[in-house]
Amino acid sequence: MLKFFRSALLVMFSLLFVSASALAADQSLAEYKYVLHISDMDPSKQELILNNARNLLEAYPPGDVEVEIVAYGPGLRLMFAENVNAQRLDSLSQSGVKFTACGNTLKGMAKLLGEEPKLNPAATVVPSGIVRIGELVKQGYIYVKP
Amino acid sequence: MGENKQFKRALISAACTLAFAAAGTSHAANWLMLQGTEDPASAARANVWGFIQAKYEKDFSDANALGQYVPPKLLGPELDAQDGFNINRARIGVRGTGFPLDSRINYFVLLEMGNNGITHGGGAFAKMSDASVTLNYIPGARIRAGLFKTPGSEEGLQAIHVFDYINFSEATNGLLLERFPNKGFTDCTDTIPPCNATTGNVGPYTEAQLQGGAGLNRFDSPVGAFRDVGVQVFDAFDIGNDWEASYAAMIGNGNGIEFSNSDGEYDTYLYFSAEKKYGGKGPKAEGLKFFAWGQQGKRLIDLTNDTTANAQSHDRDRAGLGFKYMKKPFRVTAEYITADGMIWSGPDKPNFYFTQIAHGNGADAKASGWYVEGGWYIPKTRFELDARFDTMTRLEDRINEHQFDKWTLGMQYHFNPKTRVTLNYEIRDFECTVAGAVCTAVNNNLKGVDDKVGVQLTAIF
Repeated sequence: MLKFFRSALLVMFSLLFVSASALAADQSLAEYKYVLHISDMDPSKQELILNNARNLLEAYPPGDVEVEIVAYGPGLRLMFAENVNAQRLDSLSQSGVKFTACGNTLKGMAKLLGEEPKLNPAATVVPSGIVRIGELVKQGYIYVKP
Repeated sequence: MGENKQFKRALISAACTLAFAAAGTSHAANWLMLQGTEDPASAARANVWGFIQAKYEKDFSDANALGQYVPPKLLGPELDAQDGFNINRARIGVRGTGFPLDSRINYFVLLEMGNNGITHGGGAFAKMSDASVTLNYIPGARIRAGLFKTPGSEEGLQAIHVFDYINFSEATNGLLLERFPNKGFTDCTDTIPPCNATTGNVGPYTEAQLQGGAGLNRFDSPVGAFRDVGVQVFDAFDIGNDWEASYAAMIGNGNGIEFSNSDGEYDTYLYFSAEKKYGGKGPKAEGLKFFAWGQQGKRLIDLTNDTTANAQSHDRDRAGLGFKYMKKPFRVTAEYITADGMIWSGPDKPNFYFTQIAHGNGADAKASGWYVEGGWYIPKTRFELDARFDTMTRLEDRINEHQFDKWTLGMQYHFNPKTRVTLNYEIRDFECTVAGAVCTAVNNNLKGVDDKVGVQLTAIF
């Protein structure tokens, strides 16, 4: 009986652990979730989107807001390693903002440049930026395009 | 043996860190970087911009005993009136990256359509003042090629649309804003003698003569506009504790904004600065900057008033050092400038520049000057008060040595960060300083130089 009880407990804890990991990966526990989208060439949009991210972090108590910035097309320049705003990206990343770069755009840029542009280490590459936005919206993220 | 290896490794590591990792990306009032580069991975393909400066000035100087006027008593560039309105600058330009995915290439183009020494000499409606490309491929050594501002004096190098005064200091205007020898003094292929065609000073003219079309600006080329056509290597480095060091080395035709190098000689320019950054970005970024610069060049002139073509090279060397402190609400700038060779003595005297052997000509003369200025951005208002004292001594140690002293009192009102009105009142004391007949004659004209007032509207877009 004891053996069965122990095994059952082990299975329960394992299931809980797996669920928690899955949640951490795909679903945030934060009450407010925002996906900020940049695909513009306009340099002023880079500063604007970073300001938006900062303002969102400051508007809510810590842990209550999740912000992910998705960049594709010309907007991917925001996440280039050499970008003039690189330090702000680093700072926001350390504060919990996620930076997601579109893999399709990256491939296209590599063709034009002859080499893949170097990204800020804070950026995570996904296969498709637009698909990522769709996934996040489906999960309940509020979509914002400054 | 092991310690030597470690020391060498440390030295190489330090050198690499300085060269590769510390290239400045944040530029406080660093004109080399602000004008020569674009924000990496952020600049537009083509950013259209420009500015307009419209002004009114009135000169209160008196005519000499014969009712005649000399250039310091008249308004440029025409030098035929003592008061009036002018569009002294109207520039439109484009700058950017061209191919935005590659931040390593920047360009800068600017066209001048205002009425000033750039467009007046040669009578052009518009004149290209800048056209350059910067290659940012080599860490620590950006390369800028084309027509652009030479690394030098703070007044000359800084962007004119954020300059806090209507007119330059006398040293900047007289020693650095180059006026080039007229063609009649350099091009002796014409068969009509003499080679240096003009044999007497122009003017002075009475009011009637000036109103009848006489003008006292006899230079026939645009001013140098603190620019040259050439190639420059430069960069800025963060060196710790919020200090940024910059350097620039340039070689150019030595012909200002004109696209030729007819004398076959090149000008060289060197510039260093170190700045403690306090914060902010762009032209009004805050910091304490120390700078030093030097320029060396040669100019070709035929000094002999005869039928023989014998143009010779004369040195034109300039150097300066200074500092600028900017932390609101205060600003203080000071600079000392020296000049050796090619000292001009007035736009009505291009021939004196070349031929007055009796006192020694300006081609071989020396000069120096300095200025100190300050600004107070009145807190919680849009007003700014400015004051500058500047002095220039030209034709040093000659019997016709001149000294120009000037106080400029100013006030500015900033409608917004891009539009302001500037009010300046200049108190001038110009004289020929050596006792004797030569200076007595000069002072008969200079003693009438009096105050000048001006108001200028600057709109940047």
